[in-house]
Amino acid sequence: MLKKLNNRTIFLILVVLFFCIVFISLSYGQIHIPAQAVLAIVAEQLHIPGLENISVTQEQIAVIWHIRMPRTLVGILVGAALAVTGAVMQGVFGNPLADPGIIGVSSGAALGAVLAIATGLSTVSMFYMPLFALMGALLTVAFTVFLAMRDNKISVMTLLLAGVAVSIFLGALTSGILTFISEYKLREFLFWTVGGLDYRRWEHVLLGFIPILAGVSILCALARQLNILVLGEEEARAVGMSVAKLRLILLFVATLTTATAVCISGSIGFVGLVVPHIMRLILGPEHRSLLPACALAGGIFLVGCDTVGRFIIPPAEVRVGIMTALIGAPYFLYLLRRAQKGGLF
Amino acid sequence: MGKHSVLIAENVSVTIGKQKILHELNLKAEKGEFIGIIGPNGAGKSTLLKALRGLTKNTIGSVKIFGREIAQFSDKEIARDIAYMQQEVNLGFGFSVLDVVLAGRYPYLSWWQNERKTDYEIARKYMKFTGVEALEEKKVNQLSSGEQQRVLLAKVLAQETPLLYLDEPTASLDLAYQEEIFRYCQSLCNKGKTVLIIVHDIRLAAKFCSRLVLIANGTIIDDGKPGKVITAENLKNAFGLNAAVYTNQISGKLDIYTFSEQECLLQNKKIHMIGGNGTSGAIIRKLYEQKCQISIGVLEQGDIDTVIAKAFQVESITTQNFNQMSEMTKLENKQKIETADFVVLTNCNYTEQNYFNLKMASLAKRLIVIEDTPIEERDFTKGKATVLYKNLLQKNSVTVHKSDTVIEEIRLEFAVK
Repeated sequence: MLKKLNNRTIFLILVVLFFCIVFISLSYGQIHIPAQAVLAIVAEQLHIPGLENISVTQEQIAVIWHIRMPRTLVGILVGAALAVTGAVMQGVFGNPLADPGIIGVSSGAALGAVLAIATGLSTVSMFYMPLFALMGALLTVAFTVFLAMRDNKISVMTLLLAGVAVSIFLGALTSGILTFISEYKLREFLFWTVGGLDYRRWEHVLLGFIPILAGVSILCALARQLNILVLGEEEARAVGMSVAKLRLILLFVATLTTATAVCISGSIGFVGLVVPHIMRLILGPEHRSLLPACALAGGIFLVGCDTVGRFIIPPAEVRVGIMTALIGAPYFLYLLRRAQKGGLF
Repeated sequence: MGKHSVLIAENVSVTIGKQKILHELNLKAEKGEFIGIIGPNGAGKSTLLKALRGLTKNTIGSVKIFGREIAQFSDKEIARDIAYMQQEVNLGFGFSVLDVVLAGRYPYLSWWQNERKTDYEIARKYMKFTGVEALEEKKVNQLSSGEQQRVLLAKVLAQETPLLYLDEPTASLDLAYQEEIFRYCQSLCNKGKTVLIIVHDIRLAAKFCSRLVLIANGTIIDDGKPGKVITAENLKNAFGLNAAVYTNQISGKLDIYTFSEQECLLQNKKIHMIGGNGTSGAIIRKLYEQKCQISIGVLEQGDIDTVIAKAFQVESITTQNFNQMSEMTKLENKQKIETADFVVLTNCNYTEQNYFNLKMASLAKRLIVIEDTPIEERDFTKGKATVLYKNLLQKNSVTVHKSDTVIEEIRLEFAVK
C-alpha cells in the first residue's frame, strides 16, 4: 500500500514538474514574455474563454504560438519517445546499458534521412524523409542484432560493440554524402548529426504526434510482458512467453518510435539511457510504472536541456543534442564504472 | 487426462552443433512420481529437462504430455502443464520478490490483463510455503542465494502445474534447506504432482526420490528405485567412481563410501579376518579398496563388524552364539583360514567365548597380527589367551604390525613377491 502511495506521489511530482518546465520553456528566451501573456495566448489559441482581458501583442503571439510552442511540443514528444524506447531496449536485451542510439537506430535513421535530402526526395513530399529514416533505422538495428546473435542468444557486449562500429560506419557514409551535396542542403544535413529543437514548426509536431503516441502507448501496454522478458530469455520461455515474437514486436515498435523522433529532431543521444536509469532508481524496475514515468521524465529532461541550452551563451543557442551528450556521456561512463564494481542497482 | 501417462518421451535425441548431447532416450513418468535425475557433470541432465519441456532446438523423437505431442501445445498451454525451474535467471534488474513470484502466473493471463486478485493470493500462498513471504517487498538481487532459490521455487509453484522440472534447486543451499526442498517436493508428489529433479547429492536423491534416473554420456544407464539404480557398478560406469553402496545402520538409508582408484597390488588376494567388536572396520575398508576377496569369521550375530562386512560385500561366517557354534560353521571357518593367502588377526579382546578364534589362527599359512595394545590388557581368560598368543608369535609365518601401517606393509610384502 505504501509503495502504491509512493508511486502516486512520484507521478504527481513528475506531472507538476512537467507543466513547470513547459511553462518556463514557453515564457523565457531572448524575448521574455510575462506569465499572464503566455497563459492568455495559449488560452486564446485553444479557444478557452476567461483570459481575453489580458493584452498581448502580435509579436508575442507569433513567438509563443509559432516558435516556442511547436519547439516545446516536439521536445516533449521526442523526449518521451527516446526515454521509453530506451527503457524498452534495456528490458529486451536484459541490460541496463542498452539504448536505441547505441545499437545504431539514430545513425541509421540519420543516414536514411540524409539520403532523402541528398536525392531531393525530401522536397517532393514531406513523408519521404520519415520513411527513409525509418527504413534506415530498421535495417541498421536488424544488422546490428544479426551481428550479435549466436544460437538465438544475443550477446550484450557484442551488441554494444557492433552498435558502435555500425554507427561509426554509417556516420562515415553520411559524411561521405555530405561532400556531394549543395550548401543549402548542408544546413538541413547538419541538423541530423546534432539534433536540436530549433526551427521546429507545427508540421513537425503533426508528423511526430501520431507515430510517437501510438508507439509509446503500445510499449506501455506491453509493459507486463517486458517484466517477464527481463528475467531472461530462458525464464520467459519457461513461463510460456513467445519470446522471439515479443522481442521482434518490441524492437520493431521501439525502432519505429525512435526513428520518428530522430526524424523530427535529429539524433539526440543519451536521453534513452539517463532517464530510464534515474527512473528505475526511483520507481524500481516494474515496467508498468516505469514506462509512463519515463515518458513524462523524458519530456521534462529534453525540454529542460533545451531551455538551459538557450541561456548558456546568449545570444547563441547550444543545441539540445549537445546538451544531452554533455550530461549523458559522463553519466554513461559513471554507470560503466559502477557496473565494473559489480551491481548496477 | 486420466488414462494417459503424465509424460512419455520416446527416442529423444538432441544435437547441439555437431555434438550429440542425448542419444535416443526413453522415459515415462506417472502421476505422483518423484524422479531424481542423477549423473556426472556434462551428462546431459539439463539438456534432457529442456528437451522434455520443448525448449531445445534440434530435438528428434517424441515427447508427450498427457498423451499429447508437446509440439502441438501453444507456449502458454505448455506452461500451464509444466513449470521449469532453471539455473540461469537474470535477477539483476532488482524486481521485488512478489514481482518475481507473480511471473509464475504469466501463462494464465492474456496480454492485456494485469494480475488478478487470485493471482496475488496464489503467489502469496506459495511464498508462504517456501518461507519467503516476509521478503515480499525486498529486491530479489539483494537476497542471499538460498533465499533466491526459494523465491524461484515459489515462482515455479505459483505456476500450479501438474508437472514440475527442477534443475538443481538445491544448488547453493545449506543442508537444512536442501532437505527442506526435497520434503516440499515429496509432499507435492503425495498430492499427485509429478516432479523431475536434477540432483547432485546422491544420498539426498536416494533418501527422498521415489525413482532415480541415472544418466551418463547422454544415455540412461539405469532407471528405477533408488536401491536398484545406486549400485557400485552403476556409480563406476557413470561417474568413474569407486564406491561401496550399503544401508547405513544408523539412518537406515542408502549410503555410499567412495575412494580413489589406486594401484591394487593385492587384487584378488584371498584374505581372512579374525576379529570382532569393531576391530575389523578400518582394515576391511582398506582391503576393499585394494579389491581383495575378503572373508571374516567367526563373528557373533549383531557384532558391529558384521554390519561393516555387509557394506563392503565381505563374506562373513557368523554364529548365533559362540557357545552353541555348529560344527559346520567351524569347518567353514577352518577352510577359509587354510585357503586364504593370509589371515589378519585384529587387535580384539579375548574371552572364553571367542578364545576359539585365536586357536584357529594357528592354522593360517601366513598370519598378520595387529597389535595396538599389549595382549595382557585384552586378555579376559585369566592368562590362557596370552600364552596362546605368545606361542603364535613365535612362528615364522607370523608377523606383528600396528594397525595404521599394516596395509602399507602388506602391500610391500606382496609387491616384492
